[in-house]
This record gives sequence, C-alpha cells and structure tokens, in this order.
Amino acid sequence: MDSWVITMMLSVSVFLGAIALFGFLWAVKNGQFDDEKKFLSATKFDGEDELNDAVNQERKKEELKKNYKPE
Amino acid sequence: MSNKVACSHCHLEFSQDVMIIEDDNYFCCNGCQGVFHLLNEEGLESFYEKSGNIKLTPPTENFEDPSSFDTKSFYEQYIKVNSDGFSEVSLIIEGIHCSACVWLNEKALHKMDGVIEANINFTNNKATIVWADNVVKLSQIIEMIRSIGYNAFAYDASTQEVHANKERKSYYLKMAVAIFSSMNIMWIAVAQYAGYFSGMSGDVKNILNIAEGILATPVLFYSGWIFFRGAYYGLKTKVVNMDLLVATGASLTYVYSIYITVLEEGEAYFDSVSMIITFVLIGKFLEVLSKKNAADTLDIMSKNIPSEIKIIKNDTVITCKLDDVVVGDIVIVSSGERVLIDGEIIKGNGSFDESSLTGESEPVYKDVGDSVVSGTTSIDADIHFEASKDFKHSTLSNLVTLLESSINKKPKIQQMANKLSEYFSSAILTFAFLTFVIWWIWPHSFEISFMVGISVIVIACPCALALATPVATLVGLGLGASRGILFKEAAQLETMANIDILVVDKTGTITVGKPDVIKEHIYKEFDKELLYSFVKSSNHPIARGILNYINDESLNEILLDEFTQLPALGMSSTCRGVKLLGGNKKLLNNNDIEIDFKSDNSVFYFAIDKKIVAIYELRDKVKDGAKELVDSLKTKGIETIMLTGDNEHIAKKVANEVGIKNYNFNQTPQTKAEFIEALHVERKKVVMVGDGVNDILALAQADIGIVMGSGSDIAVEVGDVVLLNDSLKSLDDAFKISRTTFSLIKQNLYISLGYNAITIPLAMAGYVIPLVAAISMSISSLLVVGNSMRIKYKWKRN
Repeated sequence: MDSWVITMMLSVSVFLGAIALFGFLWAVKNGQFDDEKKFLSATKFDGEDELNDAVNQERKKEELKKNYKPE
Repeated sequence: MSNKVACSHCHLEFSQDVMIIEDDNYFCCNGCQGVFHLLNEEGLESFYEKSGNIKLTPPTENFEDPSSFDTKSFYEQYIKVNSDGFSEVSLIIEGIHCSACVWLNEKALHKMDGVIEANINFTNNKATIVWADNVVKLSQIIEMIRSIGYNAFAYDASTQEVHANKERKSYYLKMAVAIFSSMNIMWIAVAQYAGYFSGMSGDVKNILNIAEGILATPVLFYSGWIFFRGAYYGLKTKVVNMDLLVATGASLTYVYSIYITVLEEGEAYFDSVSMIITFVLIGKFLEVLSKKNAADTLDIMSKNIPSEIKIIKNDTVITCKLDDVVVGDIVIVSSGERVLIDGEIIKGNGSFDESSLTGESEPVYKDVGDSVVSGTTSIDADIHFEASKDFKHSTLSNLVTLLESSINKKPKIQQMANKLSEYFSSAILTFAFLTFVIWWIWPHSFEISFMVGISVIVIACPCALALATPVATLVGLGLGASRGILFKEAAQLETMANIDILVVDKTGTITVGKPDVIKEHIYKEFDKELLYSFVKSSNHPIARGILNYINDESLNEILLDEFTQLPALGMSSTCRGVKLLGGNKKLLNNNDIEIDFKSDNSVFYFAIDKKIVAIYELRDKVKDGAKELVDSLKTKGIETIMLTGDNEHIAKKVANEVGIKNYNFNQTPQTKAEFIEALHVERKKVVMVGDGVNDILALAQADIGIVMGSGSDIAVEVGDVVLLNDSLKSLDDAFKISRTTFSLIKQNLYISLGYNAITIPLAMAGYVIPLVAAISMSISSLLVVGNSMRIKYKWKRN
C-alpha cells in the first residue's frame, strides 16, 4: 500500500512537470523567445484576425506545396 | 504662426497650409497619402490604431529599380532554397519604429500570393521571407515593402551568425531538460538521505531509485550529449579534455547505479550523474554566451561601402559598379558623400573629413590638383576627380583586406582553466583506474572495487573546476557593465590581466578630440550675441569650441544678413550693418588687418568692421585623469606608448603633459598595426586603445582592442572592450577589474583543486559514502560561486 501511494504521487507529479517542460521546449524550438521585443508586445497583436491570418497562411502553404514544382 | 497639424500617416507635424488636405485627413507628402490609401484598400487600416501616435519616416519615392533583385547573381548570393523547395531570403527592413510596423509588414506580405512566411525580428529589424518563386518574384515583394513606406535590402545571413544562434538555442533546450530533471531528482534525493539515517523499507528505496534513474536518463543522454561528442573529438586529436572526464564519470556512475538498483542493495548515485552534467553544462553555456564572432565585424565594414558609384562617360553621368571603374575614369563626389576610389581632383574644391585615416577631426581643404584618398568624406565639396587607381587597389579596399588579416592575426590565448583541466582529467581517470585495480588485487569483490573506483570520479566531480572561470568572469563582466565598461568576450578579462604594454591613440582617446577655448583676450567690448550667432552658423570644430565656451542661457540668436564660409580661412558675415570677420591670421592678412600675436595654440581672431575685438586661443585638451592613468599603470608594471597621426610638435606636447615617455607621430592606420605586430614579435601582450576608423587595424590586431563608446561604429564593432563613458578613469577601472577577476579565477581554481586534494585520497581509501559525496560536491561548487560574489562586495566598499 505504502509503496503504491509513493509510486502514484511520484509519477503523477513528474508527469505534470514534464508536460510543462515539453511546452517550454516546444516554445523555444518554435522561436517564440527569439525576439524579446516582439514577444513582450505580442499581446497587442493577438486577436481573432491574427488567428485567422495564421490559419490562412498555413492553408496557402499547403496549397502551394501541392502545386509547387521547383525548377 | 499657423496651426500645426499631424500628417495622417507619418504623424510628423507641419503647418496646416503646406499640407495636402483630403476629407478629414492631412498628408505631408504624396508618399504618405499613397501609403494611407493603400492600407485602407488592403484592409490594414487598423495599423494606425495599433501604432498610436508614433512618428514614422515619410516614404521616399525615388528607389532604385527593384529588378536588380531578380538577377541571377543576386539569387546566387542571397537566396537559399529550403527543404520544401521554396525560396528564402534574409532582409533588413528599414524604417521600423514600433511593433505595429512589424505587424504591418508581416500582414502586407502575408496578403501577397505566393508568400508563405514573413517573419520580422523587431529587435534587430531582420526579416526572413519564404516564397514560391513561380508565383511571385522577390522584386514584387520588395516593391510591396517599399509601397507601404519601408525599404528593404538583402544581407548575407552569415553562416556563423546562424550557427551561433542555433548553438545557443540547443543549449537552452538542453539546460531546460537538465535543470528540470535535476531539481526533481534533488527532492527525491532528500527523501533518500532522510531514509538513509532513519531507515526505510527496501521497496520504497527501490521506487525512489527507479524514479531518479528515469529522470537522470534524459540528462545524461540528451543534455550530456555534448560531452560525449566533445570527448570523442578530443580523443580523435589525442587530447584528454574535461569532456572526457565528465562523460566517463557520468556514464560509469549511471551504469553502476542501474546495477545497484537492479541488485537492490547499496547506494545509487543518480543524483550525482544529473548534478555533474547540469553544473558543467551551465558553465559551458556561460562560455558560449560570451563569445563574439569575427564574421559580423567584417559584415559591418563592407555594409558601409556602397556598391555603386557615379562617373562621367562621354559627357553623361552614369552609375556603374564600383569594381568596373578603371584608372582614368572621372568620378563625381557631392557634399556629404564618401570618396570610394583614390584620385586627383580636376574640378571643384572644398573641405574633406580625413579622420578615418588620420584620426584628426580638423577638415582638410582641397583644390584642383590635390589628391583625394578613398575612405575620406566630403564635407562641403562637390568635385570631379580622375581615378588614379581602381577600387581593388584603393586605400579603402586595402583597409578592408588588412582588417581581415588583422583579425586573423589576433593571438589566441588559451584560458588557464582549459589548460589545467587537461592535466586534471587525465590525473583523475588514472587515479580512479589505479584505485579500482589496487582494491581488486587486494582481496575485494569486483563490486566493492568498482564502487570505490567510481566514488573517486564522482567525488572529483569537475563541477567546481568547470564553474571556476565562468562564474568569476561573469561577476567581472557585471562589475564592468555597471561602470560603463563592456567586455565583449569573457576570456578577455583573463587576457587583459596579463598585459605588458598599453598603446594609446592621441586624438579622442587621451585628448578630448575637439578644440576647447583655453584663453580669451578681449580688446574691446562687443555684443556677445553677435559672436554667438556668428559661430553658431558654422560647423567647423573651432567655431564649435568657441560656441561651447561662450554659450549661456541669456544669449539669443540674431538673424545674420549674409554668411559665407571661407575654406581654410574662416568665415565672414554682415549683420545690423557691421561686417564680421572670424578666422585665422591669413584671413586678417587678406583683409589688410595688422596683428602681432603669437601662440602655440590654434587662434581664432574676431573682428568687427576690420577692428579686432577678441582673440580666442583653442587647444585639444587632455582628458581628465590621463596623467593618473599613466602613473597608475606604471605602478602595475604596464608601459604606455602613444601613437598619433599628428606631427611631432603636438605629439611631444601632449606626451609631456601626461607623462608618456614613448610616442610615435605621423602614424597611418597601417603603421599603427605594424607597430603592434612588432610588439607581438617581441612576445609582448598589447592593449590598444583608440576611437576612430584610423585605429581599427591596430585594434583588431592587438590582444585586446579597447574603444571609446563615442568612437566610430566600425571601431566599436572591431573593439573587444567598449568604454561607454569615454573616460580614462574607466580605462583604469577596466584594468583593475580584469586583474581582480583573474586573481579570483586563480583562487577558485585553488579552491577546487584543494578540495580535491583532500577528498580524493579519502575516496581512494574507500571512506566516502554517497551522502558525503553529494554534499561535498555541492559545497565545493557553492564555495566557488560564493567566492566570486565576494569581489562584488569588495568593490562596493571602495
């Protein structure tokens, strides 16, 4: 019983911590901290328009990828 | 006065009657109006809401033809093809003032067909743009950027810069993992140590061991990967480096701990594994963080050279490539432009700023027949000159080539800790192996002998050694920064502490660099406001010096009726019906004014209606603390030598004033660099202090180049240390800080070695239990860090 509780608590807390860690690693890899000035004023430019823009951009990329034949 | 209104686009304010009025909007120019409409059409008008009232630069309309961006040579040089087959370019965007500008550019580009990604870095205005080349051309993209009021030019994202950023990022990731795991292992270890003393059941202990093992695995194999790699490359070149010690130590400990965990008896050392890796990784990261790369410097230098030049061929002015100019071509230089090719003036005259070659701020007057040197700037001269050399052989181009070789000639000094760690690592590995062998031969089981051998490596953990230098230099860098001294690379602190000779430039370094009034002779009372307005109209350094001297709040500027600059003489003007003359003796002689006045200094005569009313003596004053600096360096055993482009007379006067015995005069940028090279041949370590373009070769070549913060951009870029407040006091401080830091590094190394001298024999004798190993390991690291912090308090008290 004792050891079961310890195993549970250890694995749950380390797992939760690991999620946060992977979130952070993802953000670093993604370049979110590359530009500190942009990062700090990011809240000003974070709205519905920006999300739509990002999605459109993704779609455009996929579409171009399909028809793109490098010379 | 009419009302001032702000332009609807750029927000600059102008009076209402010059503005273009349209509905409720005002525009200062067609450019702003065009951009305003474009943004509204494209649905980007929320830009104005986002940018608030930030003032923008009005767009210019006369750009070069963007089609040059589509040429094959441009594509070869700047455009990369990424993994998806799309084209990618790095641009610098000009005119970015606020985050809304970044937003606008990204948005506008995203709206274009074929643009896949536009990412602009707000901090350094660099942009990466990815596009499909069959849909849209780069020239169209550039045109879009220009049409919304910005400009862009390509730059070669030097591989080195990209590489440095990548390396830094990979360190961030590795450290994040290492720190996360170590912190978790630590609190598990607390439970374990508590259990070690108060007793705990075998299965609980086993669970804790397994949890630690799982957490230590990514630390060793992900974060610790660079040590394995470093060890491999070290072995390849037959060097036993610290990486090898860390890698073998950590992985042996790891394997042993797994073995213990499986056997379920004895103590596992997983906490040591992750701690060693984490500490040494942090130390390594601090080193990487403070490295500067030489490639960026050259980038700046060549960025300052335009690629095109105006020449006259068959009576028409044409623009041609700099490299296409041949000897005998007629080149046009207008006021404010830089001379790019050496030649001889055939038409026009005016003054030139030759400070990049001589370091002297005094303009030089040149007329037909005089030679012009590339790298100098025309102040007010519009001239035609005949090229006497092509660009490759001109002075400016030579300077760039020389700079390149100077940077390569800079001596590389190995840091003390690196040298030490080689011996240390091989010694520890040998000790550990011997311990294992001896214990085994002396009848002990394999497990016990192996454990004792490993405990030697664990206890000799190079954490303290790895932290000794980076922590101390970091404190040193911090101390410097708070006093306006920027060391660009941490290793320079160590180099600077062992310097033999200080070489200083005169103008701008020992002296202020601009003339100041030292004596005023008044012959007749006159209206100070006249002189004030008179000298204010000129940009000549002498006039500026007088302006500084007489300037006070009560003086008002009078409008002069007429004003003429007389090159190489002075200036003249009429005002309120009187004729003003100001300048040198030659000007007075030309105007038939007799004067008998002798002085060693520059003299400015001021005459009203041909009667001299005042004489000012000016001199380039020696900076405060120059003499104290030379004296204080003498007590430290550092010799000071002065180099100057000035003549012997002035050099001698300044040298005597500050107490410098050795000085060389009439120096050119090349001879300065040669002088440093000669000192290097004598195996002397040299610091060069300078401020101008004329010093850059010497700065690049010296062991340490120190630059005054007010110096030219290129010099600041080339220098290793920048003195932000230009004072000689901070130069002295820089020496003091480097010496304190160096002694601190030595102390730290002694501490970590002394600690090992005590603990290694204990470990070899088998007296070390895991708890003691872990605690003593942390204590040695803390001692090193604590010792480094000590100097901060020591300096605060002073």
